[in-house]
Amino acid sequence: MNLSGILVVAKPQWLGEVVESMRAVQGVEMHQVDEATGRVVAVLEAEDINVEIQRLKEIKALPHVIMAEMVYHYLADDEKIYEGIPPELADEQLQNCAVPAYLND
Amino acid sequence: MGLTRRDFLKTSIAASTAATVGMPLSKQAEAAVKASEKGWQWDKSVCRFCGTGCGIMVATKDGRIVATKGDPDAPVNRGLNCVKGYFNGKINYGADRLTQPLLRMTDGKFDKKGKFQPISWEQALDIMEEKIRWALKEKGPTGIGIFGSGQYTIHEGYAAVKLMKAGFRSNNLDPNARHCMASAVVAFMQTFGIDEPQGNYDDIEHTDTAILWGANMAEMHPILWSRITNRRLTHKGMKVVNLSVYGNMSSDIADLEIIFSPNGDLAIQNYIAREIVKRDAIDHDFVKKHTVFATGPYDIGYGFRPKNAEKYASAAEMETFKNEQEHVIDNWEAIAQRKKEGEVVKQANAATPMKDWAISFEDFKAAVEPYTLDFTAQVAKGDPDESMDAFKAKLQQLADLYCDRKRKVVSYWTMGFNQHQRGTWVNEQCYMNHLLTGRQCQPGNGAFSLTGQPSACGTAREVGTFAHRLPADMVVMNPKHRALSEKLWKLPAKTINPAMGSHFVKQMRDLEDGSMLFSWTHVNNPWQNTANVNHWIKAARDMNNFIVVSEAYPGVSAKVADLILPAAMINEKWGAYGNAERRTQVWRQQIMPPGQARPDIWMMMELSKRFKLKDVWGEQKIPGLKADGFEDGKLPSVLDEAAKMGYNPEQTLYEVLYATPDNKKVAWPDPVAKGHPNITADLLKDGWFPEKALFEEYRQFGNGKAHDLAPFDVYHADNVRGMKWPVVNKEGKWVETAWRNNEQYDPYVKQGSGFDFYGNNGQALVMGDLDKPGDPAKKVDISGKAKIYFRPYASPVEKPDSNWDLWLCTGRVLEHWHSGTMTRRVPELHRAVPNAVCWIHPKDAEAKGLKRNDLVWVESRRGKVKVRLETGGRNRMPRGMVYVPWFDEGVLINKVTLDATCPLSKETDYKKCAVKIYKA
Repeated sequence: MNLSGILVVAKPQWLGEVVESMRAVQGVEMHQVDEATGRVVAVLEAEDINVEIQRLKEIKALPHVIMAEMVYHYLADDEKIYEGIPPELADEQLQNCAVPAYLND
Repeated sequence: MGLTRRDFLKTSIAASTAATVGMPLSKQAEAAVKASEKGWQWDKSVCRFCGTGCGIMVATKDGRIVATKGDPDAPVNRGLNCVKGYFNGKINYGADRLTQPLLRMTDGKFDKKGKFQPISWEQALDIMEEKIRWALKEKGPTGIGIFGSGQYTIHEGYAAVKLMKAGFRSNNLDPNARHCMASAVVAFMQTFGIDEPQGNYDDIEHTDTAILWGANMAEMHPILWSRITNRRLTHKGMKVVNLSVYGNMSSDIADLEIIFSPNGDLAIQNYIAREIVKRDAIDHDFVKKHTVFATGPYDIGYGFRPKNAEKYASAAEMETFKNEQEHVIDNWEAIAQRKKEGEVVKQANAATPMKDWAISFEDFKAAVEPYTLDFTAQVAKGDPDESMDAFKAKLQQLADLYCDRKRKVVSYWTMGFNQHQRGTWVNEQCYMNHLLTGRQCQPGNGAFSLTGQPSACGTAREVGTFAHRLPADMVVMNPKHRALSEKLWKLPAKTINPAMGSHFVKQMRDLEDGSMLFSWTHVNNPWQNTANVNHWIKAARDMNNFIVVSEAYPGVSAKVADLILPAAMINEKWGAYGNAERRTQVWRQQIMPPGQARPDIWMMMELSKRFKLKDVWGEQKIPGLKADGFEDGKLPSVLDEAAKMGYNPEQTLYEVLYATPDNKKVAWPDPVAKGHPNITADLLKDGWFPEKALFEEYRQFGNGKAHDLAPFDVYHADNVRGMKWPVVNKEGKWVETAWRNNEQYDPYVKQGSGFDFYGNNGQALVMGDLDKPGDPAKKVDISGKAKIYFRPYASPVEKPDSNWDLWLCTGRVLEHWHSGTMTRRVPELHRAVPNAVCWIHPKDAEAKGLKRNDLVWVESRRGKVKVRLETGGRNRMPRGMVYVPWFDEGVLINKVTLDATCPLSKETDYKKCAVKIYKA
């Protein structure tokens, strides 16, 4: 399993269209959109790096996308790391902080 | 809440990404990052892979790398990563990582035919010492050699140069950068008298035109490509041209894609020059003040064995190799070189291809005159399915871009130019067109040679790990350069061997003909990366010699070796790289190497403890040595002179070269480490900081000579993300040089000159005509000037015919780096592109009764490999050409490739030879 943070840039006037078309790309979650600068931060989840590259290419090929590149790579070999809730998260306070409101709808 | 660790991670990754690219974070997101990154230590590092030199932030926890991200403060990549960035955190952890020395043994003793058995470091160093002593006794200093690397850290490269050139007095040190950058180097030295690009990556945001010549940037330099893409989409009038021998990913956003024939680039460049002259797009003032026209001989051979090739080559191979002696001029060369078709030309300058002389502008004009649109289009059209008219229109559009003086132009190239039988020439032609139009060394204007390896510029070239070089662009053949190096290294006069050593391919040939007996490989994979490799594998396994390979993973070269030494990788040692825009970047050791793996620098230092001055500084035989001040075939004993300098013959090379009194003053531990470990210092146990001490010593070579570097600690400061050399001190501040040779930016440029190509100061050229130099007494001073060379079209030495009916081109793919020794260890990646394929045009496949996924043989006069066919995908081959990448040791394509080199640079042409394909 691969998780990467990617930055997508579009001309601000086309941002709505880009966000809309990105929704259709599998494994993509959009987390932050900056309307002033046309930037979108998304997380790309894919079963392996080949699929990840394919999806990045799909995003790059979307109309009005100026640029899409990776920024952040999380490295984990162990699936269990993804699945279980780590002890530090059991803390109620942290859990509240961990989930931005827009993820809950 | 149903929140899983995965959801949490995603939130955190998104927040980190946003923070990296400078987007504001919510408090919640910040908290998520904090929680997720609890206990992580972030530090700056550099990407391990290509020559772009992206800044990477590395997070460690409990001694392991847990995450990497683009460094938001790095001016190269501004927080972005290409997919290779991902490997930086993964490559250290492959399952088959080498962790102990392995020696071929039978019954507890070394046996060349034995099986690999684990041994201790002590035993490994024992056998290396024994075999080096044997090689020195049998053959002298030229009996040993090192295959070095453009992936050496600066410190490692410097340690290797010193060990070989000052210690063993052998110049047989040559890096894999010979396969990668050598043509660029020779062209820089010939044209400007100083190495490396004058411009920098910020040219992209200043230019109106990016022209790619044989550089598939979309796959090979993705971060620079994202900057070009961005410019293309945001700057009105920005044009991108992709010149290549096949269609690739870089064509996707190109305004113009030109598919040319192998070596057709030589003709296209001269066509552009002819148009510049004809349309008077010349910057006359620039040309007059800052340039001189020049040319050189055409009969320079193809870099094969100069004699006795038939002793080692098959009859089929000799069909190509015989061109080294005599070449028959073909119909295109007849026009391009002003000769007759069928004329037999003795390759009289095969040993002296570097000769050059000045010519008049009138001669230059006459030389480019044959390169008309009609002629060029016929020679250079690469896609048989494209119409001649369409191709001509494209050439004209290309010339329009170069001739439009209002337009800023950057030309980029990589292996398409460098790995070329006339690689130096085609590099020089690119400068020709930029210099003619006055477009060099200015923001947004310049011919820019991109690098393939992370420290090809910083180590291989600046440090000088080549067979002819010393640090800071100096060469062993020059008595003044030797004297200066001997002074800085505190060596007796005449310690350094004045005869050029064996370049990379020649070291392989030396092993084959038995003139080299001991070979050590550092940070590269010679038995996978060298062309015509069947010969070299046989030489390593069947000849009486000793092959040592330092490696992190068991690649082809390790398997071919007699002794394997487990090497530490990036982030397991301190290091520094210099990228393609002259930027020196550093990292601290982040994690410990696994098991018994050790840094290369430690290996060299431990070995140096085994040799005393009396072993190496006595009289030495050097076959063929002829140099002023030296007896033929001999290096003198310098032991008496050494005694006068206070040395003792019983001192070891370790004491004399590395742990010198000055260097030992540089103490470890050092606050610059900020708590990070240094395994080299800890193992040496004598209290000094080898990487820092060597860097400070090395710096002395370049300071004041336009190769200046800042002190070690300056690069390690938290707010520094590398600096572009020369870095000079102005009023207490270390200031980098953004554009070289340009008065506005370069402190070395003569005031009031505007531009100053000071690399050629003190040089002079004989005046001549297009065919020969004139009166040797009549010389033109070229101080401050760059040379505009006329170089003709020459046909590839091996072309497809009725039997070998296809061109073969080789190269890389996005997902793998070089020979795949590192990237193939990342499991998900290996699944992604597990094996190399052979890209072919569907019609070529069909004509041979083949289809996609068929297993086929690709065979040349030299060897064959089995590979699956691919008719679609990312590369679009024209009919008549196939492409096989070289990362896969299971498809060892270098068994098939031809070891023709550019005769000037000795860099192999991996881009063209003739093959046939049939069902396996």
